[in-house]
Amino acid sequence: MENKGNKYMNPYLAGLLLGVVLLASFYLTGRGLGASGAMKSVVVSGVDKVSHDYAENSHFYSKYISNDQKPLRSWLVLEVFGVLIGGFISGALSGRLNLKLEKSPKITNRKRIWMAIIGGALFGFGSQLGRGCTSGAALSGMAVMSLAGYVTMMAIFGTAFALAYFFRKNWI
Amino acid sequence: MGPIIPLFEISEEINLLIAFLIGIGFGFALEQAGFSSSRKLAGMFYGYDITVLKVFFTAAIVAMLGLLFMNYMGMIDMSIVYVNEYYMASAIIGGVIMGAGFIIGGFCPGTSVCAAAIGKIDAMYFIGGSLIGILIFGQTYPLWEKLYNAQYLGSLKLSDSLGIKDGILGLLVIVAAILMFWLGELAEKRFKREDISKEI
Amino acid sequence: MKARFILSLILVSLGLVAAILPQKKNSSIELDAQQLLNEIQQENHLISTDEMANALINNDPEYQLIDLRSETEYKQYSLPGSINIPFEKLFDAEWAPYIDQIARKNVFYSNGTTLSSEAWMLTKQRGFKNNYILQGGLNEWYTTIIEPEVPASINGEEAINDYEARLGAKQFFTGAGAVNNASANTDAKKPVARKKKKMVAGGCS
Repeated sequence: MENKGNKYMNPYLAGLLLGVVLLASFYLTGRGLGASGAMKSVVVSGVDKVSHDYAENSHFYSKYISNDQKPLRSWLVLEVFGVLIGGFISGALSGRLNLKLEKSPKITNRKRIWMAIIGGALFGFGSQLGRGCTSGAALSGMAVMSLAGYVTMMAIFGTAFALAYFFRKNWI
Repeated sequence: MGPIIPLFEISEEINLLIAFLIGIGFGFALEQAGFSSSRKLAGMFYGYDITVLKVFFTAAIVAMLGLLFMNYMGMIDMSIVYVNEYYMASAIIGGVIMGAGFIIGGFCPGTSVCAAAIGKIDAMYFIGGSLIGILIFGQTYPLWEKLYNAQYLGSLKLSDSLGIKDGILGLLVIVAAILMFWLGELAEKRFKREDISKEI
Repeated sequence: MKARFILSLILVSLGLVAAILPQKKNSSIELDAQQLLNEIQQENHLISTDEMANALINNDPEYQLIDLRSETEYKQYSLPGSINIPFEKLFDAEWAPYIDQIARKNVFYSNGTTLSSEAWMLTKQRGFKNNYILQGGLNEWYTTIIEPEVPASINGEEAINDYEARLGAKQFFTGAGAVNNASANTDAKKPVARKKKKMVAGGCS
């Protein structure tokens, strides 16, 4: 099973690398990293396409639509597009490119897929309410010492730990 | 003095190009760390693999220390750098919902994109789920609007709310992280799962 | 194990250094004390009463006189074309487009120069550009423009030329052609606002 190619980087070294990227982002652009914001842009532009008037009148969508700017041409969308490319490059270099559904052998593929969709939906919902996900709110927020960052981080990891027992079959 | 782009009014095109390059670095680091594997990420919560803790806190510390020293050397105007706005209720409730999503789905938005890039099918479904979740939030926004905007405390820093210097908070975070690394590595030995580690 | 110990030690010592270093606040637009001192020594921020009188006579649109005294004092007497921004209201939002702008030279004046110097310092520290002080204030205006002193003949030709110019100016400001203050300040247009310090949008929003 194990081949030499798919070893991961030492986690502390990877953390250092990630920290340097984050620092560069702050130094160059004054903002940290993000991910869920880009997904929101996709949703907003989708809704906008289906019905512009509806999006315009909604308190939520209208915040992200302005006449001179297309939601898909935003900083975060480009950044997440980069994540896609960067992840692919890394996977290619380390020989980890292959279509695979990762799950515990104790559950069926169908269950894993449903769990992924439900988990994604919860994360998507929560990231909107909490104004950012693990990257935008927790990681970037912690680096600038924002209270919101630390609170969000503790809420995310605390809940995940608290619920871990009930979902153990999914993973182990 | 930084941050470069807002201060020197660099064009939007260059800004987007830099976003793309930073994204590549971000994705590369996440994938190299192993954040493209949901069972590796979930390992954090069962103790068999605490990569998440190590990478996450190392990165936060590196960036935090970097900003502290850059600020001291006059290389960055921290008053321009974005500090997340704190709405107490929505930050906590949003965080709790995200935590549930994390343990059920096995990813967070950033890692799901990175995992999808190397062909993880579960990550692709997770992204689909996220879009649905955001759409649900958007459609039901009037229900949450009050909660979303409640208890606004501004761009508050933890150091200010504790009444300590930024540097002292930095030291405390470092000490806390090292303790967690140490405990986490003990946990990794105690809850070792060779069968899983081999597969991910 | 040893590597971990060394790395922890390095991190903690970096943290210690960060904790010991004094907290600094950088600002890309605010000036520090030394820079202010240099500016003051160069005296580029002073506009002489002669220069100002000349500009007013020529209707030079580049200058905007700003009277920092109280409204009552302003109503009793003010320089033509000036607007009244009482000192304590200097940073009211209402006046921001006037004092924080790039289009014109603002010339602060008060009776002496105490108020105008303070106003200049405060605006300078905030990074506002194009603000100046009328040298000597209204007192000097009076002794140089309104009641100019006759120079002694030993002062040379230049002083006599100045004197003649001042006599002309006096005629302009006190004679029948004197501009009506009240009407002059109504058409003081709002200048172009200076570009605001940009805030970065961030997080996932």
